[in-house]
Amino acid sequence: MRTLIFATAIRILTPLFLVFSLYILLRGHNHPGGGFIGGLMGSIAFVFHTLAHGTKQTAKSYFSLTFYKYDRKPHHNNLSHALRLLRKNIVRNKKEKPIFIWNYYLLRLRPTYLMAIGLAVAVGSGLVGLVMGKPFMAAYWLKVKIPLVGSVGTPLLFDTGVYLLVLGMVLKMVFTMSKD
Amino acid sequence: MLLVLTICLIMAFTAPWLFKMLGRYVVIPFTLLPFSIFSYLCTFLPAVLSGKVVRFSYGWIPSLGIDMHFMLDGLSLFFALLVTFFGGLVMLYASGYLNGHVLLGRFYLYLTLFMAAMLGLVTSDSIFGLFLFWELTSISSYLLIGFNNEEERVRKSAWQALMVTGMGGLALMAAFILLSLISGSYTFSDLLSMETDITEHFLFLPVLLLLLVGCFTKSAQFPFHFWLPNAMAAPTPVSAYLHSATMVKAGVYLLARMAPVMAGSEVWQYTLVLVGGATALLGAFLALQHTDMKAILAYTTISALGQMVTMIGIGTTVALKAMMVFLLAHALYKGTMFLAAGAIDHCTGTRDVNKLRGLARYMPVTALATTLAALSMAGLMPFFGFIGKELLYEAALNSRFFVWLVFGLTFLTGIGYVTVAVTLSYGIFWNMPRRATKLVHPPGFSLYAPAFILGLLGAAFGLIPRQIVTPILERAVQSISGNELVQLKLSLWHGLTKELGLSVLTILMGLLLYRYLKVVQQKSSILNPLYKFGPNNIYHKAFSGFLLAAKAFITAIQNGNLRRYIIYIILFFSSMMFYVIWRDAPHIDFSSRAQLLQQLPFHDVVIFTLVVAALLFLLGTRSRLTSIVVMGLVGYSAALIYIMFGAPDVAATQFLIETLTVVIFVLLLHKLPAFIYLSHQFNKYKYIAISILFGAVMTYTMLVVQDHTVESELKDYFGKTSVLQAHGRNIVNVILVDFRALDTLGEITVLAVAALGIYALLRMQPEKGDKP
Repeated sequence: MRTLIFATAIRILTPLFLVFSLYILLRGHNHPGGGFIGGLMGSIAFVFHTLAHGTKQTAKSYFSLTFYKYDRKPHHNNLSHALRLLRKNIVRNKKEKPIFIWNYYLLRLRPTYLMAIGLAVAVGSGLVGLVMGKPFMAAYWLKVKIPLVGSVGTPLLFDTGVYLLVLGMVLKMVFTMSKD
Repeated sequence: MLLVLTICLIMAFTAPWLFKMLGRYVVIPFTLLPFSIFSYLCTFLPAVLSGKVVRFSYGWIPSLGIDMHFMLDGLSLFFALLVTFFGGLVMLYASGYLNGHVLLGRFYLYLTLFMAAMLGLVTSDSIFGLFLFWELTSISSYLLIGFNNEEERVRKSAWQALMVTGMGGLALMAAFILLSLISGSYTFSDLLSMETDITEHFLFLPVLLLLLVGCFTKSAQFPFHFWLPNAMAAPTPVSAYLHSATMVKAGVYLLARMAPVMAGSEVWQYTLVLVGGATALLGAFLALQHTDMKAILAYTTISALGQMVTMIGIGTTVALKAMMVFLLAHALYKGTMFLAAGAIDHCTGTRDVNKLRGLARYMPVTALATTLAALSMAGLMPFFGFIGKELLYEAALNSRFFVWLVFGLTFLTGIGYVTVAVTLSYGIFWNMPRRATKLVHPPGFSLYAPAFILGLLGAAFGLIPRQIVTPILERAVQSISGNELVQLKLSLWHGLTKELGLSVLTILMGLLLYRYLKVVQQKSSILNPLYKFGPNNIYHKAFSGFLLAAKAFITAIQNGNLRRYIIYIILFFSSMMFYVIWRDAPHIDFSSRAQLLQQLPFHDVVIFTLVVAALLFLLGTRSRLTSIVVMGLVGYSAALIYIMFGAPDVAATQFLIETLTVVIFVLLLHKLPAFIYLSHQFNKYKYIAISILFGAVMTYTMLVVQDHTVESELKDYFGKTSVLQAHGRNIVNVILVDFRALDTLGEITVLAVAALGIYALLRMQPEKGDKP
């Protein structure tokens, strides 16, 4: 499946998919959409990326943080060293070889964590009602409206949990299947 | 009370951690815990002795009327004191017995858990609370029996004990539910103070039988006695604590608790007397056949429990007094003997009474303790067992029915006890001191001290019965008989009564039997073939038979052929629908339906044609990729239909799922072998026929459903409240995440579990020996 056009297109399309899936998640309460659809859409973004580039590349591009780091040179003081490090990390000049790369994998092909977090968020949103002295899962809405998101409340949190869980579930299945 | 139980539970679960911190000194907190609870319970003694009932209530499930009620009356307090006092001694003993064991922390965990459960059981006033603790004792007993889990025999014994007592627990739950239905009360105090007589109710007999099954399994009564000797696979502290002093008496406790309510029934009296009597005699007889100390003790325990059950069955005041006194006497002497047996096993490496000789030389304190206990067991004059035996005879002779049968059984059992007592004390400790068995190591303090304390108490209670134990026993008897005026006067000397004569006769006969014990054992080996039909064998047969049947069933139904699974599901579903349609036979007007077809819009026709053409093509294709793509086409068409009917959410989900399915198939496609027809042509037609059947049933069902719309207020309700109460205009989503969020939570949990299951299946490598 490694065709050039598909691979290049997917590289641009995946973030687009992800943003769109978040949009679907947020608009779900008033328009067609919601956590389940959003999660499926988000997972499709990654699935296509996997299809084009392989699981390792997907995990590296989306589920890991890369930090560049090198030792302080004698003529730099601490502050300037920190600033340089910051600049190296923000503006990545690929030609310049960093001395030491610290690659921190957020998920390391373990979308199980996503599932667990999703479930925890969903249950946690239910607990809010319990803390307020109402039954489990009773909705609680904030008074303020946040721009772009709209009114915020525990149902939205619950939907986010569903989103994460669905995302994790599909990724888990797809990553396992395409691994060997 | 709840606080005490909570502390117990917390202590239990910190045990492994404390063991890591304190090493072998972990014994200190765990011995102090039962004794401090013991002293706390002692503070209730004055109140209870003056006739009050101490109660504690906590709300639990108020909507069902189920609350945690605890109550301390004479019976409860007596048992609670027994449990905690024994608990303390056994905890101390366990440190010596399991000295250096790496899992001592875990052992204390189980033991403390058990103690908490037992304490809850005997103090619980609500019947469902009692059931809860009842099951907890079964589970902790399972864990304790299976403590040495490397041995298969041990695992089997533990499993057997759990199966038998667990089955009894289920019967008990049924009994309690029926009982609360009959009487409308959930607590023992309500049951006891009830005006109406429930023995007349038509459900009384089932309640009684279920209750008896529960109590008999727990207290190892015939024919459920077989698990107790097998449970001796547990470490000896466990045997002493659970399987002689406390847990097996839970059944007796419950029978005693229910006695005021049930005792009016003749079924109750006869069953208890007959089963108890049979168990008593059988236990005593079997005890004589064995040479393993723990087996002997186990069978005499069964026998003693049988005697207690008989006494409850007789139900006269004397019988109840005899029951309580004998219970305490038995707990004291049997506890001593068990602890001594464990010490001997630990020090010499054997428990065979034929190999042990003259141990008094090396283990003087244990010898003294065991002898005191044995004299109490045999029922000799100044010991507490003597008072118990006298009362047993008196009760048997004054029974309202079956006088000679009951007395005969009690007398024969008594002879058996004397023989066993002589075997275990004289035979092991004092016989042939010249050729004494060599010790591997001398017993430490914690191995002999608890036994000695118990043995001494048996003697002390006998010498001064009135001052220490009589008041609490009297209150306990009052609780059982439901009569406040019962008085208990214990004394050693009643004058020259016929009970005294019978006691002397029992001892003489017992000594005679001991003289000819070898002969009796040889003669009785004729009975060995009978064991083949014993309940233990039946249990094992039933167990393995059940496993075989389950295996055969599973291999027949779940043979790994996915097509079959789907066929089973579809056929089952279709036959259910057939049955419903045939039974209700709703009428459908096909002609008016057919006319509707003429108004079909053009795009519907297009989609219909598309789907049918795709399906026909699917049947003919021999390429996997083609079939997947064609299936995707069908799915997208379905999504289009959803859109036309105004369900964008469902349509979007359908689109995405179809896409994902195709992508996942593509990912897997190159791993699959080439596409070949494995099935016979005939099978293909069979599958087509089944598919058509299913489609027809579904179509018919849809038509019926459309004709008979269900009136529902939900639609209006959701429509009205969606914006106002849930701040959302998309009703589907509002239902999912707000109105029915709990359902969604369940569904996503199922999704997560399914994903983990798929992961486990995919990662499995059968060629490397992984098993599903």
